[in-house]
Amino acid sequence: MATTPRSGGAGSGTAQRPNGTSQNKSCQFKLVLLGESAVGKSSLVLRFVKGQFHEYQESTIGAAFLTQTICIEDTVVKFEIWDTAGQERYHSLAPMYYRGAQAAIVVYDIQNQDSFQRAKTWVKELHKQASPNIVIALAGNKADLSNIRVVEFDEAKQYAEENALLFMETSAKTGMNVNDIFLAIAKKLPKNDGANNQGSSIRPNGNETNRPTNNCCK
Amino acid sequence: MAIKPETRLCAVTFFAKLHPGDVCGSNGLPLTPNSIAILGRAQRLKEVQDEHLCQYLDVIRGKHERTIVVSEYVGCSLEEHVKRHPPLSLAQILRIFYQVACGINVLSQHYLVAHNLEPKNILIAPDGRLKLFNYGLYFMTKGGAYVPFPVGNIRYMAPERLLGLNGNVKSDVWALAMMVVELVLDLQLWPKLKISNVVRKILAFARSNNVLEKIAREHQCFEAYQNMDAELRQLLEKCLHASPGQRPLPRELLAHKCFADILQADREREKAQEAESKQQLESHLPPLPLLLRCPLSQIYHLWQLAGGDVQAELKKEGLIRSEAPILGLPQIVRLNGASVCPTRSQSHLMDDRVVPLKLHALLQRLSQLPACVYFPLLHSPRFSSQHQRFVLELQQLPLVIRERDIEYQFHRVRLFARLLQAYPYTAELLQREAAIDIPPLLRGAVWAALLEVVPNSGYGKIDKFTPTSTDRQIEVDIPRCHQYDELLSSPDGHRKLRRLLKAWVTAHPQYVYWQGLDSLTAPFLYLNFNNEELAFLSLFRFIPKYLHWFFLKDNSAIIKEYLSKFSQLTAFHEPLLSQHLSSISFIPELFAIPWFLTMFSHVFPLHKILHLWDKLMLGDSSYPLFIGIAILRQLRSTLLDSGFNECILLFSDLPDIVMEACVIESQKMYEATPKSITHRQHALRSQPPQSLDIGVTDVELKHLQLEQCPRISAKDVQHLLLHSPSDLALIDLRSVVDYGHVHVPHSINIPFATVQLGEQRLEALNVPQLEAQLRGRIVVCVSNIHQNAVEFSNFLVACGVQRTCILHKGFNVLHSIEPNILISN
Repeated sequence: MATTPRSGGAGSGTAQRPNGTSQNKSCQFKLVLLGESAVGKSSLVLRFVKGQFHEYQESTIGAAFLTQTICIEDTVVKFEIWDTAGQERYHSLAPMYYRGAQAAIVVYDIQNQDSFQRAKTWVKELHKQASPNIVIALAGNKADLSNIRVVEFDEAKQYAEENALLFMETSAKTGMNVNDIFLAIAKKLPKNDGANNQGSSIRPNGNETNRPTNNCCK
Repeated sequence: MAIKPETRLCAVTFFAKLHPGDVCGSNGLPLTPNSIAILGRAQRLKEVQDEHLCQYLDVIRGKHERTIVVSEYVGCSLEEHVKRHPPLSLAQILRIFYQVACGINVLSQHYLVAHNLEPKNILIAPDGRLKLFNYGLYFMTKGGAYVPFPVGNIRYMAPERLLGLNGNVKSDVWALAMMVVELVLDLQLWPKLKISNVVRKILAFARSNNVLEKIAREHQCFEAYQNMDAELRQLLEKCLHASPGQRPLPRELLAHKCFADILQADREREKAQEAESKQQLESHLPPLPLLLRCPLSQIYHLWQLAGGDVQAELKKEGLIRSEAPILGLPQIVRLNGASVCPTRSQSHLMDDRVVPLKLHALLQRLSQLPACVYFPLLHSPRFSSQHQRFVLELQQLPLVIRERDIEYQFHRVRLFARLLQAYPYTAELLQREAAIDIPPLLRGAVWAALLEVVPNSGYGKIDKFTPTSTDRQIEVDIPRCHQYDELLSSPDGHRKLRRLLKAWVTAHPQYVYWQGLDSLTAPFLYLNFNNEELAFLSLFRFIPKYLHWFFLKDNSAIIKEYLSKFSQLTAFHEPLLSQHLSSISFIPELFAIPWFLTMFSHVFPLHKILHLWDKLMLGDSSYPLFIGIAILRQLRSTLLDSGFNECILLFSDLPDIVMEACVIESQKMYEATPKSITHRQHALRSQPPQSLDIGVTDVELKHLQLEQCPRISAKDVQHLLLHSPSDLALIDLRSVVDYGHVHVPHSINIPFATVQLGEQRLEALNVPQLEAQLRGRIVVCVSNIHQNAVEFSNFLVACGVQRTCILHKGFNVLHSIEPNILISN
């Protein structure tokens, strides 16, 4: 578990090749974060990508994009992360982001039962609409507040097992399990040199069309 | 402390209670510092203005929860006054009694209580007028909950307050009566008693039938008590009744007959003075400096611009002392986390000294200005004085300099204050002056005027309390909205923002709350923190003007149209950049929704939004599109060198945009773009389109998405032809024969059938000096076959030709223009 996210590459906006060593395989994956608003999606990404935590993280409108590169064994994995808006009204934008994603983290807030229910509907929608091979992780965020939790660990764990999801309780505030959940996803993703490598497009809404034709902001 | 006669402002300071370290609220967020809570609450006090109250001007947070309150100050305190003029005559005492009661009465009208009345907090101006001072401490500290010290002097505290019953105006009546007793009996209450014994004494009053008599006996003044004016004595006895219910209300006090005589005398004196006043003004009285006739808020603002620094003044007086941080380090930290620290330094103790803010330098600085700058005449022709030249010269300088130039701001503040007083009759003038710049002090009111807000007190009637389905969303968004700002992060700021958002949603049943509405509301609240109605009405007018229909439950058609128009306008002004972005599929849907849905208020910090919106307010609904292009233009070279990933990363974390450049650039583009180019079906229209305009539903979304270049109306072409033909290059794509038959003078004929558009170079068209003929002009592609014009305009964009557009309805529409603009053979 000596693998830690490399910071910097994402922030500077350049697609650096870590280490530059040639024998390393490298893959890139498109990952999308979904979940009720104010459960901590942006905070999880911020913790993962920049190691930071802002108490008053601003709400996300539309979506935000960040990247982070991690190493697992001999593979360099680059995550291209779409962090989406949580408000139900922005729902119609979501397919633009999860279509073509290889991984998704569905986030809920352990002190909010509704957000857990919302997470379940996201999982259902992903199973129905997203790519069939998508790796889905369920994150019960704000684990630092477990003394006032509403959603029990076992309940969520059982739900995750029934639906073949990765599951962890995380805390963007303390950093607990944040890197781990991304790492677990990276391990589960297929890392053959072919399809996911380099050429895979991170553009929302698939590769071919220039303009998204799905319903934006409906 | 020596207070000079010109002193008008002063500062007091105290520490707010520190939260124990590392404690979070139930929502997991850190507790709001008490100093911020105080700052938010204190804003309301600024609005309380009365001749018997010192006006509050500012609350500033220092380090370590230090709170500094700036307020009006006049003359000297009652405490000093009594020392200087002992003993006071009965008439003088009655006047004091009456005026303090006036002050308490006004406070209670504002639902406030002072709870710290004592001779130190009552100021007497040289003319005998009296003002309550520091009366807001109890309110701003939420009854003392936010500070580590009790509010009020025990000696004047009513028994019920000692028992924990606070917030009753009758307790202030008690305190006032105690002060008057001291004056009348010419004594000091329990001068040598320890606090605990004073408390015991006061509590013992609860069992007494006649508190006044008891006080007199205790202080060996029974004789004086007996000789007291009977009416006054009865009144004081009533005010000092142990049960608050038996004490009179302030307004009952004011009506008491023992004041009748002095009131009558004062009225007569005033009349006499009025008759004399003219003579006096002209003769011996030294004239009051003109500046001191301006509102205190303006004086304080100018004082700050002139380099005034409240913290520095407090340091000079020794009220803020800094100590080496190392002295505060714990000496021992136990394993359980408890630490042994050095005893708290003396500098952290409460010190209630009042520090005057010196106005001398400011008065000196502005004394040279003529009266017409202090009181500008709006409708008389401007005197082309030196000062006018000075103002015009300064207007050439960058905005940041103008905003910090004291003399310039003085001109602007005085001018705008006048304009606002006469609004709405001065609306046009105000608009013209606002186009130059807006003085930050008056921005909230100026914006409201630019948005044509006319307060109608309808806000109070809107339901802001009934729970609705959007409450949860609003609740989670507010603690994330511009929380770096002290006002917006205070509990009062949260409450106000919640009320505004709920009111807006209630007032618009056709619309819904979209995340982002919070950011959009924040600037209005920030500027009108004490005037929720103005904030609400500004938002109410702002949204239809710039975001018409954006907050529909299904806003997809509106957003899509808006973003497509944005793409077109980008191609119009930045053809190469637009080509590049579309070639990497970097579409506005991915980055520009938060820009436009919140008018950039979600992407920039408040201070930038203010300058941006200063200009936005002057433009129409298309202006924001040009701001978007100005941002792209500022990042142009980075964007041109970047692929999709880098571009989207750049916008996820928007780099430092130079706002002034962005504003100037967007304004230039806005002015250089004919109105019809920005046509959108969903924009709010003030008048229906005419025959030569683009009809409301003429251009549908699919057209916008298919056509890279925007369409121009025949009316705008006609206007350009008549008024600035040198700005227009008209490319006629019809055949040579048609062109020979009839054409627009000076148009360039490039028959579409003969051109090869495969090669994306202008030279390939074989038209001599075409590039030079198009440069810097609005290039209108005209054809009778619309598709030809579309293809040719796309070609021009690919060649990097700026400002390419298509004539809406093609060549034939030009026939219908009267008077005729065509040449026919």
